[in-house]
Amino acid sequence: MNPSIEIQMIAAVTAAACAIPGVFLVLRKMALISDAISHSILPGIVIGFMITQDLASPLLILLAAFSGIITVILVEMIQKTGLVKEDTAIGLVFPALFSIGVILIAQNANDVHLDVDAVLLGELAFAPFDRFYINDTDIGPKALWTISVILLITISLMLAFYKELKLSTFDVGLSSALGFSPVILHYGLMSVASVTTVAAFDAVGAILVVALMITPAAAAYLLTTDLKKMLVLSILFGVSSAIGGYWLARLLDASISGSITTVLGLLFLGIYFFAPSKGLIAVLLRQNRQRKEVSLLTFLLHLNNHDSTEERGVAHLQEHINWRRVRAKSVLDLAVQNNMITIENQVVSLTRKGLEFTEKALEYIITNKDEKIEDMKDDFFLFRG
Amino acid sequence: MDITQYFTDYTLRTITLGTAVLGAICGMLGSFAVLRKESLLGDAISHAALPGIAIAFLITGAKDTNVLLLGALVSGLIGTWWIRGIVSKTHLKTDTALGLILSLFFGFGMLLLTYIQKQPNANQAGLDKYLFGQAATLVESDVILMSIVTGVSLLVLLLFWKEFKLLLFDKDYAMTLGFNTKFIDGLISFFIVLAIVIGLQTVGVVLMSAMLLAPAAAARQWTNSLSVMVLLAAIFGMFSGVFGTAISASQTNLSTGPVIVLVASVFVAVSFIFSPGRGILFKQIRLIRNRRELELQKTLYFMYSIVKNHDDISRPHAIRILNNFQGFTKNTLSQLEQKNWITIQGANWSLTDDGFKKASNLYTTNLPES
Repeated sequence: MNPSIEIQMIAAVTAAACAIPGVFLVLRKMALISDAISHSILPGIVIGFMITQDLASPLLILLAAFSGIITVILVEMIQKTGLVKEDTAIGLVFPALFSIGVILIAQNANDVHLDVDAVLLGELAFAPFDRFYINDTDIGPKALWTISVILLITISLMLAFYKELKLSTFDVGLSSALGFSPVILHYGLMSVASVTTVAAFDAVGAILVVALMITPAAAAYLLTTDLKKMLVLSILFGVSSAIGGYWLARLLDASISGSITTVLGLLFLGIYFFAPSKGLIAVLLRQNRQRKEVSLLTFLLHLNNHDSTEERGVAHLQEHINWRRVRAKSVLDLAVQNNMITIENQVVSLTRKGLEFTEKALEYIITNKDEKIEDMKDDFFLFRG
Repeated sequence: MDITQYFTDYTLRTITLGTAVLGAICGMLGSFAVLRKESLLGDAISHAALPGIAIAFLITGAKDTNVLLLGALVSGLIGTWWIRGIVSKTHLKTDTALGLILSLFFGFGMLLLTYIQKQPNANQAGLDKYLFGQAATLVESDVILMSIVTGVSLLVLLLFWKEFKLLLFDKDYAMTLGFNTKFIDGLISFFIVLAIVIGLQTVGVVLMSAMLLAPAAAARQWTNSLSVMVLLAAIFGMFSGVFGTAISASQTNLSTGPVIVLVASVFVAVSFIFSPGRGILFKQIRLIRNRRELELQKTLYFMYSIVKNHDDISRPHAIRILNNFQGFTKNTLSQLEQKNWITIQGANWSLTDDGFKKASNLYTTNLPES
């Protein structure tokens, strides 16, 4: 296999391995724990490296993952004292552990051929050089094997505990009432996240791990609310950005992990803007429509209250409700389009349909059932705002 | 190394002054970040500042600190603004938004930095000092810039003190009073971003969040007053800077940033344990003391329940009818005697008048009089 394909495979498998725990982290509102873990594994890596002298050894991965778990435990301990909030606890723990790691590296610079840059940023381009041999036969890069094994473990764990994970993610109370310990699931998920982070940092660096965990899940969450679809979509997003990022890096001759992140960022930006119902544009349009429809309702209620012709003059209404010209016109147009009002000689009057709509809405408002107005709109409106 | 070096050694003096000023401004503004429950915003922003530095370098081609920091400021502000946008316009939560901006901006920044490194511009070396920070590169002009920024933010803080405080603790009330909450909110965010950007050069993107958080979290434990907290946080931050610099200067191979962060963490740990009001130690002591007090009252009340059926309250009873279940130990018995609530004669005890009165009022004192 040539190195180019190998790099893409490592990147793609890493992306898939990160996407799965990422979905659950995002849904459990613990996205930042991945950031904390990715930093605080540093002392574990340094100590492990001093013992094993090999970045890809399983012992090192376990030691580093263990320091990730310690982070989680420390954060929870601090949080339990009630002295500070959870986010402050996270923010206090990981820089301290990271500092210890940096100092350890600096103190043992002669024994530890580790670079903080390499840990944080990784260098995928060098990953294929570290080969894995069985009986002197070259069977591919070590990083690919490590991350593939972790991906397999993650997938089988997820399949085995899918039901429990889903339940405890969306309803902690019910899941503990049914006898699934939230604590075990929590630490299980944290262990998977830690191990994945450690295995991935070697190839792609700590920061990209965070990007690979959170971004695909967040993008998928904007498109669907079905957990299975969300998992599939985020794996898809992760893998495609990994491969896209590789080619961007070749084009620009720049860091592969940096360009994978950039592709992920562009992907998220696109989905953030254009997601059908939860994207920025859709949300803004909906808010705008709602605002206009509320204005329409206010306007109709006002009409309903005033019978005299001078109160219902177009110019007077503009003054009375204190709308600007453009807004007043757009509301009037909407009302006419929907046959709610008629305008004769600059005097506005409610039609029968408009009267019916207004009275029904008024009733809902008086009886505190505002949400029903939304359903009613579907029955009455030919054109929405 | 001795004390006089602080006044004679130019580098050491500059670095000490720089880290002290940085600690002060971070503590001051970090208090607001912590109280606004935006502790990790600092982490996200410091990462988000990286592409700004790279772009500023790409545009100007010069490594002027002020220009680079301006770029960092702009991209930090864009990051903050986008985080707010994601949280308010979509159903993604704050933690996801922070993680997204943090990693995406940082990755993009790395792409630009590696791209710059490949350029045939000899000037580019040393841009990566912003990643991990190098206090050693501080020069006098940097310190002056830091001091100016600190002065300005102090001035703004004093000018808008009332507004900041109101916004912090009761946003809705501030809005109903007619304050422009958006403006005040933006102002405080702007200064937090500014403090972060100023610190990048000294402690780097990764450790910046701790500089912002740790002094404030430590100060929070000692007081419930905002002004005292801000002041204390500034002092803690300053001392972290000074001690951190001193420790790292006394040893070879100790980078300043991490040491400062560790010193600040020690401040936090000490505050968590030893602060008189909220600290773990005193809380535990109070807990134990309360428990003892309750045991004592339990014993006394049990005695009272035996005695009240007799005509003569001072009639002696055997000690062995008391047991552990009523909170009885040798210790409680002697304490009760010390308080003059009971008297002990050999193996018997008897309630005194005082003790009887105390016990009969024990569970009624807190009840409303009927």
